[in-house]
Amino acid sequence: MRGMNGVGESLRESAVFNFNGAVTMVIDDSPFALELTAQAVLGFGIKVRHSCSSAAEAIAVLRDHPVDLILVDCEMPGMSGYEFVRWLRRSGLEPNAFAPVIMTAAHVRRSKVSEARDCGANFLITKPFSAGVLLERIVWVARDARAFLEVGDYFGPDRRFRSEPWEGLERRSEEIRKAEFEAQRRASIEL
Amino acid sequence: MTVITHNRRKSRLSTLIDQPGGVSAGVALAQAKANLAEMEARSRAVIEEQVAALAALQPAPTLEEAARLLDRAYDHSSAVIDAAGPFELKDLCAAAANLCDLIDAAPEDRPFDWRIVTVHAQALRLLLTLPAEAAEARTQVLASLKDVLKAKAPGGPQSA
Repeated sequence: MRGMNGVGESLRESAVFNFNGAVTMVIDDSPFALELTAQAVLGFGIKVRHSCSSAAEAIAVLRDHPVDLILVDCEMPGMSGYEFVRWLRRSGLEPNAFAPVIMTAAHVRRSKVSEARDCGANFLITKPFSAGVLLERIVWVARDARAFLEVGDYFGPDRRFRSEPWEGLERRSEEIRKAEFEAQRRASIEL
Repeated sequence: MTVITHNRRKSRLSTLIDQPGGVSAGVALAQAKANLAEMEARSRAVIEEQVAALAALQPAPTLEEAARLLDRAYDHSSAVIDAAGPFELKDLCAAAANLCDLIDAAPEDRPFDWRIVTVHAQALRLLLTLPAEAAEARTQVLASLKDVLKAKAPGGPQSA
C-alpha cells in the first residue's frame, strides 16, 4: 500500500474528472467523521450511497450491492477497518472484492503498521488531511491499475512500486498520462 | 512461496472518471471546502466535547482498569484529530497526535503517568482559547508537549 507521499502527481486545478454515478461507501463509527468525509466527497461530485457505522453493517450491504469506491476508518469497535479490508479481499464477492479501498486514520498504532500494509487496501491516508489530499488520492486509486496478488496471507494490489524507467516504447496509458502531465507542468513553469 | 496474480482489471471507477462531463479539480475543491465550512462550528463543538471528556478521565487504581482508561483517552484524542483535521487546526491535531503517540508507546506492564493525559487536556484547552494570532504561544505549547514525548517515549515516531 502506498503512503501519504507516494503519489508524485499533484492535481492541476483544470484537471477534469467525472465521478457521477460512482457507488460509494463510507464506513466510520464516528457519525461526525463520517459526515465530514461525505461532505468533502460530495464536493467532488460523489454522492455517498452507503453510510455505514460499522464493518458488520458494511458487510451486509456488500453482499448484495456492487460498490465502486470504499472509504473506511481504520480504528472501529468490533471489526476494525484492517480486518474489514482483509475480509473484503477474501470474500470472493464480484466485483466488490477488487473495489478500490482508501483507509483513513487519525493515528496508526505502532502495533497496527504491518496490519495497515498487509490488509490489502489501495491507500492509507493519515489525518489531518485536506480536501485536496483526499481528492488527489481518490483520483489516484481510480487510476490505480496494479494487478491483484495472492501471496501467502496477503490478497490485494501489488505492493511493489517499480520506479526503474522502462527502456522500450512506453505503452502504459497511466505512464503516458503522467509524462504528458509532467511535460505540461514543466512548460507552465518555463512560461 | 506461491504467488497468484489476478489479471489486471479496470475498476468501474477508472471508467467513470474519464467519462464526459464532471467537474474540474478547482471547482471540486471549492465545493468541498464550502460544504466543510458549514460544519466548522459543529467541529469546534465536537472538539470541545472530546477535550472535556479527556480532562474528566481520572487515573485508575489497577493496571487493567488503566488500560481501559488509556484506550478511552486514545479514542478522545483520535476524535479531536478527526474533527479538527479538515479545518487546518494543525496545532490541535499535533497536540492530540502527541498524546496518541505517548499512549501507544506506554508499556503495558507499568503504570502510566496520568499527568501526561492531564497536561495534554490542559494544552488542548489552551490551544482552543488562544487567539489565532498567538502563534508564538501555540508554538511553545506544542514544543512543551514534544518535550514530554521525547522524555517519556524516546525513539517514538515524533521524538526525533
